[in-house]
Amino acid sequence: MSAPAIRTEHLTKRYGPVSALDGLDLTVPAGEVFGFLGPNGAGKSTTIRLLLGLARPTSGRAWIFDIDAADVAAAHQRLAYVPADVALWPRLTGAEVLELLGAVGPGVDRAYRDELVERFALDLSKPAGTYSTGNRQKVALVAAFATRAPLLVLDEPTSGLDPLMEREFRRAVADARADGRTVFLCSHQLAEVEAVCDRVGILRAGRLVDVAAVPDLRALHRTEVQVRFAGPVPDLDHVPGVQAVERTGEGAVRFTLSGPPGPALRQLAAADVSAVSMREPTLEEIFLDYYGEDR
Amino acid sequence: MSTAVARRAVSRLAARQVGRGGLIVLAVAAGMSALVAATYESTMGTEADAAALAALAENPAIRTLFGEPVALDAPGGFTVWRTGTVLAVLLSVWGLLATTRTTRGEEESGRWNLLLAGRLTLPAVLRRHLLVLVAVMAAVGAAVTGTLTAVGTPVPGAVRHGAGLALAGMFAVALAALAAQVFPTRAGATGATVAVLGVGLLARMVGDGVDALAWLRWLSPFGLLALTRPYLDDRTLPLVVLAAATVAVGVAAVLLAGRRDVGAGLVADATGRPPRLRLLGSVPGFALRRLLRPLTGWAAGVGAYFLLIGVLATSMTRFLTDNPRFADLAAQAGFAGLGSVRGYVATLFALLAVPVGTFAAVRLAAFAAAEADRRLTPLYALPVTRSRVLGAELTTVLAGSVVLLTVAAAATWAGAATVDADLPPGAALAGTLNVLPVVLLCLGAAVLAVGWAPRAVAGLGALPAAGGFLLQVVGDSVDAPAWVADLSPFAHLAAVPATGPNWPAALTMTGLALVGAGVGAAGLHRRDLRG
Repeated sequence: MSAPAIRTEHLTKRYGPVSALDGLDLTVPAGEVFGFLGPNGAGKSTTIRLLLGLARPTSGRAWIFDIDAADVAAAHQRLAYVPADVALWPRLTGAEVLELLGAVGPGVDRAYRDELVERFALDLSKPAGTYSTGNRQKVALVAAFATRAPLLVLDEPTSGLDPLMEREFRRAVADARADGRTVFLCSHQLAEVEAVCDRVGILRAGRLVDVAAVPDLRALHRTEVQVRFAGPVPDLDHVPGVQAVERTGEGAVRFTLSGPPGPALRQLAAADVSAVSMREPTLEEIFLDYYGEDR
Repeated sequence: MSTAVARRAVSRLAARQVGRGGLIVLAVAAGMSALVAATYESTMGTEADAAALAALAENPAIRTLFGEPVALDAPGGFTVWRTGTVLAVLLSVWGLLATTRTTRGEEESGRWNLLLAGRLTLPAVLRRHLLVLVAVMAAVGAAVTGTLTAVGTPVPGAVRHGAGLALAGMFAVALAALAAQVFPTRAGATGATVAVLGVGLLARMVGDGVDALAWLRWLSPFGLLALTRPYLDDRTLPLVVLAAATVAVGVAAVLLAGRRDVGAGLVADATGRPPRLRLLGSVPGFALRRLLRPLTGWAAGVGAYFLLIGVLATSMTRFLTDNPRFADLAAQAGFAGLGSVRGYVATLFALLAVPVGTFAAVRLAAFAAAEADRRLTPLYALPVTRSRVLGAELTTVLAGSVVLLTVAAAATWAGAATVDADLPPGAALAGTLNVLPVVLLCLGAAVLAVGWAPRAVAGLGALPAAGGFLLQVVGDSVDAPAWVADLSPFAHLAAVPATGPNWPAALTMTGLALVGAGVGAAGLHRRDLRG
């Protein structure tokens, strides 16, 4: 079995008394598209800075394809990085930035780079100082995807992109996955993570709360059911799997359902139901559940 | 919230950004003036030679280099001669840097977008910043006048000198503000202002030295200061001219600020150009590419100054052999051995450590700034170690410093050749390279700061050269104890090419520089990157 793309062992970073990351144990196997979710300040960027060797861990260690993350000369041969807030040398044009990053970096697929420039509709002749946030991000994305690095570390890569460009971004991630590359995608946009990721890790206040495959994560959670009754409303309070029963109007009930739906359906079948709707919660709502709990 | 509250808030913001630097400049200006004036009696003695004084005032070379000496027989006049030009340059440079940093720099970084979304317009915000800097300059001038009066020099002279220094600083602030409207980048605005002020300084030097061109001094802020002649004529008209010019330039800056887009300059950035791929293939290549433009500017300034030094070589030495009393005076002020061409250039080559050391410190400060604003992050994410990035930067800056020293030698030699002075190119080069250990000390201190105090790279890096020079000037002028004077690296520089180099001192400085660089590199390796 090949080495995991990312492995951390009790990775911890403290800034004085503040713990930015607390004992992170994480393994991302090669070839996976991994989403790293969390609100602002949860420690996502700290994790990335530790993985890239930009910051030094207070304790614990990290490996990139079994290479110590602190050995950047070797580890960075295998990764490419898109920072959250891309800063470029203002007097270099886009083409010059790509040339520099390509020449010093782990190798470039020039044909693919030209194709990406086309797809992201990037004007490379302008000095980077005149680029908008989105255009700077596009330069960094093109530079990263066009490398031959087997791991892409992307920190909020689409925060400045418009929906058309977001679609191109998802295509590029799909290309990378098809090539067997690993993508570590840091985001607080659930739709993006839901659309492109295989697995998701959720970080809260420096601690890893959960790691789950995207479908599993959703299955962990309940279905929301809305029922309207023509006749009398049956008692649903003690039916197994039914929770949070709420009357939303005359003859209307909303409840959540988890586990096997049989008992609830039998109870409903016995009543005079005029309308029923069932809905899966979005990741957004699951996410809010995670963060809502301790507030 | 009323507009008045908003104005006060912006003024407070501006004051916060320049307050500390302003206090330091004030302390240096007032302290140096007071120290030199108060110790005049003990250092100069009482029997000032009137004939030699007159001769000194007549000599074009000394006038060119140190300004026209007036009233050297009085503590006030001597203080103006010793410290006036140095302080005017210090105030101007600090003022222009503070102006472009707090106006164009803040705008370039995008922080002014937040500010300008409030109720103040761009001209109003600019005006608040300028008023704060003008107030700082006024405070510095008042402090100089106050201390000079307190140590007993006549009030009219103290007022003229203090007001002149303040106005020179204010003019630099106004000029930098104007340049910041014209150019869309902080570096562009700073470079343009330095160039204009540098030409102003040269105009004063030429006007002081060449009678037919004496009118040039009316066109230069430094020339106008000289024309004031504090403690002798106490003229007011030059100060009025300088004040009027300052107001005109400042008003023009504020008016132009109302006529342009936020973030843009009157000179537009190029909207597109074909790529120039030269020197983008490696980390050292890229470091060199970033160095070339500033190096060209520094080389032009250093070259022009030392060309002048070369041209003046014979006139200066002839004068000093004819007037031994002034060789003594010059020695007292830290310029010993001016009697021969080699002694003269050796003395002036020592000065070279200040600009070249500052160049080295400023370049490494730019490197630290690039780390802080995350421009280096894409590089650090590539397969290159921090030591390699730092090493490439250090090597190119060192090479750039050697280029500057070589340019100074070549310019001095070329200038000396035009007046048939006896200065072979090898001797000139030996003389300029003699200050390399001081430059290395600056580099070592700057790298130390990169590793352990990345916010203080420029200050710590320039300390061995600029601080050491000020220490030597003050120490010589006030007869400081030997151990204080010995702290300055300049105390250990031999007068090359008049004598051979002081090898033990050179090796000690190089060793200290290596230790500083090593400890700094270790610090950079173990700390978190900023940004």
